[in-house]
Amino acid sequence: MKNLIIQVTSIIFLYFYSSIVLSHHAFTAEFDANAPINITGKVLKVEWINPHAWVHVEVEDQGKSTIWMVEGGTPNTLIRNGITKDSIKPGTVIVVRGYQSKGKLCLPRCIANGRDVTFPDGRKVFMGSSGTGAPRDGADPRERR
Amino acid sequence: MHDLMAHFITPAAERIWESAGSVITEEGEISLEPKDDEGWSEVIFGAQVIIESSYSLKRSDRSLGREDWVAFSSLLEPIGRQALQAAEAKNSEALFQIGADLYQACVACHNVYMKK
Repeated sequence: MKNLIIQVTSIIFLYFYSSIVLSHHAFTAEFDANAPINITGKVLKVEWINPHAWVHVEVEDQGKSTIWMVEGGTPNTLIRNGITKDSIKPGTVIVVRGYQSKGKLCLPRCIANGRDVTFPDGRKVFMGSSGTGAPRDGADPRERR
Repeated sequence: MHDLMAHFITPAAERIWESAGSVITEEGEISLEPKDDEGWSEVIFGAQVIIESSYSLKRSDRSLGREDWVAFSSLLEPIGRQALQAAEAKNSEALFQIGADLYQACVACHNVYMKK
């Protein structure tokens, strides 16, 4: 028990001096409900990780390439909605609707919260998490209940 | 409460979340499973903190007599113990599922008590 207390105290001290990035957060803490996005691009990378999967999308516009990091729901949520590691492979061209982060400098990358993703076969799937405080925009099928 | 979450519980949860899953690029898939004993020790410690957090959150000056608060806080202990067991067994696959359960426990409470 003594060792555990020492460990816990130590880690509080260490983290006090660490920069903290909250993996889990309310929508309004990070994203701008007044900044909707609708991007089309090629999947570069997928971070299949809890508590949010991240999809990196390369968007080409008039010869300029911009990379967007799009936050999705948990991998388990995505799987339940029909999005798997195999269906969102790098190279796949997708359309993502969502909301941009409050910080809009896009340095080094643009960041967004994804609401739904449309696949090359036309399938549109909710890619967010329910109950995060995101706008009720019809993307989340649970909102209709 | 913010400090407890930001400096204590969230970093511990991140140790569990970041110990499982993968990063997929055109070059292939890279597992996030810890590569050495030091990495697994980080996860073990994170799990221990989650267990202790369950008790800490239930302190009377934090629960303020709210039964649902105590119920939400109680969810963390079994999840932390499962994470501890999985980390000691170096079972990243189990930690992936436990990480999802941990997030659900967080969200259940945050939906009621975290300002949106």
